Amino acid sequence: MRSTGGTTEQSPHPIRRRTVLAGLGAGAAAALAGGCARGDSTASIPGTTSLANDNATWDAGYVAAGRELKKLTGYALRPLSNPNPTAYTQVTQISLQTTKATDLIKWQSGYNLKQLARTGSLSDLTGLWDAYERKGWVTRSLRDAMSYRGAVYGMPLYQSYYVLFYNTELFDKHGLRAPETWEELLHNAEVLKKSGVTPFVATQSGNWPAYEWFEELVSKVDPVFYADLIAGRARYTDPQAHKAMQIWQDFMKKGWMTPADFDQNNGPAALKTGKVGMFLHGSWQSQGLAAAGMKPGEGFDAFVLPPVDSSTKRSVITEAGVLAVPEKAVSHDAAMANAGNWLNPSVQRVWTDFLQDGSANPQAVTSNPVLARLRKRALREHWTELPRYGQSGPPNLMQGNTDDLGAFMTQAMSSEATLRSMASRASKEWAAWNKDES
Amino acid sequence: MTSAVDRRPTAAPSPVPPPASPVRTPPRRLKDRLAGAGFLAPAVLLVAALLLTPFAVTVYRSFFGDGRVSSFTWFTNYGLFLSDPVLAKSIENTLMWVVGTVALPLVLGLGIAVMTNQSGWSRVARLLVVLPYAISGSAVAVVWNFILTTDGAANQALQALGLGSFAQGWLLEWPGNTLVMIVANTWQSTGVAVILFLVGLQTIPPETLEAASLDGADGLRKFWYVVMPQLRTVSVIVVGSSLVNGLKSFDLIWVLTQGGPGRNSETLAVSMYQETFLALRPGAGAAVAVVLTVIVLLASWLYLRRQLTPKGA
Repeated sequence: MRSTGGTTEQSPHPIRRRTVLAGLGAGAAAALAGGCARGDSTASIPGTTSLANDNATWDAGYVAAGRELKKLTGYALRPLSNPNPTAYTQVTQISLQTTKATDLIKWQSGYNLKQLARTGSLSDLTGLWDAYERKGWVTRSLRDAMSYRGAVYGMPLYQSYYVLFYNTELFDKHGLRAPETWEELLHNAEVLKKSGVTPFVATQSGNWPAYEWFEELVSKVDPVFYADLIAGRARYTDPQAHKAMQIWQDFMKKGWMTPADFDQNNGPAALKTGKVGMFLHGSWQSQGLAAAGMKPGEGFDAFVLPPVDSSTKRSVITEAGVLAVPEKAVSHDAAMANAGNWLNPSVQRVWTDFLQDGSANPQAVTSNPVLARLRKRALREHWTELPRYGQSGPPNLMQGNTDDLGAFMTQAMSSEATLRSMASRASKEWAAWNKDES
Repeated sequence: MTSAVDRRPTAAPSPVPPPASPVRTPPRRLKDRLAGAGFLAPAVLLVAALLLTPFAVTVYRSFFGDGRVSSFTWFTNYGLFLSDPVLAKSIENTLMWVVGTVALPLVLGLGIAVMTNQSGWSRVARLLVVLPYAISGSAVAVVWNFILTTDGAANQALQALGLGSFAQGWLLEWPGNTLVMIVANTWQSTGVAVILFLVGLQTIPPETLEAASLDGADGLRKFWYVVMPQLRTVSVIVVGSSLVNGLKSFDLIWVLTQGGPGRNSETLAVSMYQETFLALRPGAGAAVAVVLTVIVLLASWLYLRRQLTPKGA
C-alpha cells in the first residue's frame, strides 16, 4: 500500500484514478437516470390494451378473454399484475396522475370506485353502460355500485354470489341436504357438530372476512334493513342488527364456527377432509375448491343462506369487481372500445369458463353448474341482489367497522358495544363523506 | 473501548489542543474546499433526497387534514393520540414491546453467552440460539403462525400432553397476543445479543480475572465486580439497538395479527401503516410517523448520550 504521508508526492497515475472515478460516477448517474426513467410497461403496443390488476393468477383468463375482444375491437388484453393488493392500490392511484396510466384498471366497486372517480381521474362510461342496458347485457341493480353522481365509471368485471359451499359426500354421509329454511340450516349444523365437524367457517384472519357473517346474517334477518343500513338510512343499533348479532353470538357459543384465526386459504382442504361442514365465501372460491380436487356439482355444491324468517324475501349478497378506464390512459380509444365490448357474451363465456364464477351479463352462460343453477333460481324467483358490505360505504367507515367485527369475533367486544361503536363511526364517517361531497 | 482497568486517570490531556503551527496546516485553498465538498456531495445528496426530504414532507403533511380537500388543521392529527383509543392502545403496546425487547434479549443474551463461553458442546448450544437470527423477520412470523393459531402446534401439543384446558387463541386476546409476539421476537433477536456479549467476554483481559481470583473473588462476585463492568460498552450497544428495534416492531406483528383483532395488537409502526394505507388517512399516518420518529430519536439520544459520553467530559 502506498504511503499517504507525503503531501507533496504526486501520484504516478493521477489520470487513471480520475478516469476510474469519473467512469464510476458516470455509470452511477446513468443507472440512477435509468431508474428514474419512466417504465415502458404501460407504453402503447399496437393491437393491445394494458390492464393493471392485483391478481396474477387471473392473467391467463385475461389473455383468453382478450383474444375474443380482439375479434370484436382489434385490441387484445395485456395484463400487468401487482400481486400485493395494498401496493397495487397505491401504485395505481399514483399512476393515474401520470401521463402513462394503464389503459384499463381493475378496481373495487361501490365507494372505493366513487372515491377514485371523484378525483376526476376516470373516464365517464355512461354511454357504454346505456348501450349494455339496451341490449340486456347488464342488470340495472348493479349501476349504483358503478356510479358516482349519476355517471358510470366502471364496468362489472365479474359478479360473484356469497354462498355456503359444502362437501356433498359429507352431507350424504350424515343424511343432510342443502337447507331451504332456517330451521333446516340449524338442523344441519347440529348434526354436523354432534359428529365432530365444525359446521361453519368464520374468521377475521386477513381482516376483511370479519364482515362476511355480519352481511349475511343482517341481510337474511331483513334485506330491506341491510340496504338501508349500508346507505346510512338505518342505524346499527336498530333491532334487526341486534337480532343478527345475537344469532352470530349463539353460533359461536355453540361451537359452530371455526376459531377466529382460521386461515381461509385452508378452507378448501378443511371442507374436503370433512373438518368443516359449510364454507361461507364468494363464489370465486369455486376455483380454489376445484384446485383442491373437488368437482363442482359432484365433490362440492353450494347454497345461499335462507332467510331467518320464512316470510322474508330471499336475498343474495353479490360482489362485482370493476374495470375502469383512466382518463389519461395511453391508448384511451382502444380502452374505451374494450370496455364497451367486455360484457359481450362471447367474451364473457371465455372469461367465466376460466374464472368458474358468474358474469354480470345475465345472458352469459356460466359453465360452473353449481353457480349456473343458483343464478338461474335467483333470476326466476327475483331474489334481492345486495352489494357486499365492504364496498358499500365510505372506505374509512367500512375499515373501522370491520375491525370492530373482528374484535367481536374474538369476544373482545360484546355485541352491544360493537354495534354502538359501529353506529358512532357511521354517523361520523357519513358526515365526513357528505361534507366532502358538498 | 474503556474498561475499569484503563479508566484510571493518567496524565490528563490538556483540554485545549495546542495551537496549530501555521507552517504545518496552511489555510485551505478554495480548490481543496471544493474538492472536499465534491467528495461529500454524493452522501449528502443521497441522505437529503432519501431521508431528510421525505421526513420534511411527512412533517408538513401531518398538519393537513384528510378530507377530500386537504386543509391546514394545525395539530388536529396529533390530537388523535388523545382522542383515538386505538392510538392510545398502540402506544401502550409499543411500550410493552420496548420493555420486552430490551429486557429479554439483554438478560437471556448475557446468560446464554456466559454459559456457552466455553468450548465443547456449549458451542453447539450457542449455535442453536444464534441460528434464528439468520432468518428473516417475516419467515420467523410465518413459523410462529403455525405454532400460535388456535389449530396450531402449541395447542395441539398441549392437548397431546393432557393440558387441553391451557389451549387458547394465543393471537386473539389482548394482552396475551402482544406478549406471545414479544416472546417470538425474543426467540429471534436473542441471537445477536449472544454474539455481542460473546465478543465482549472474549475481549476481557484474562489478567483481570486472574487478579480477581488471587484477591479471593468467587464466581458471582467476580462476575458482578470484574466481568460486568468490562461488558458495559457491549451492553450499551445491545440495549440501544433493542430499544430502537422495539420501537419500530412491524414485520412480526403484521404477519401474525395485522395489528388485530380489532386493532388491539398494533404498535405505532403498524398504526402508521394502517392509518396511511388502509384507512387512507395520510395526515393521521404522517402524525403517527412523526411521533414515532421523535420518540426513537429522543430515546436513542437520551440513552446514548448518558452511556457513551466519556466520563468527565
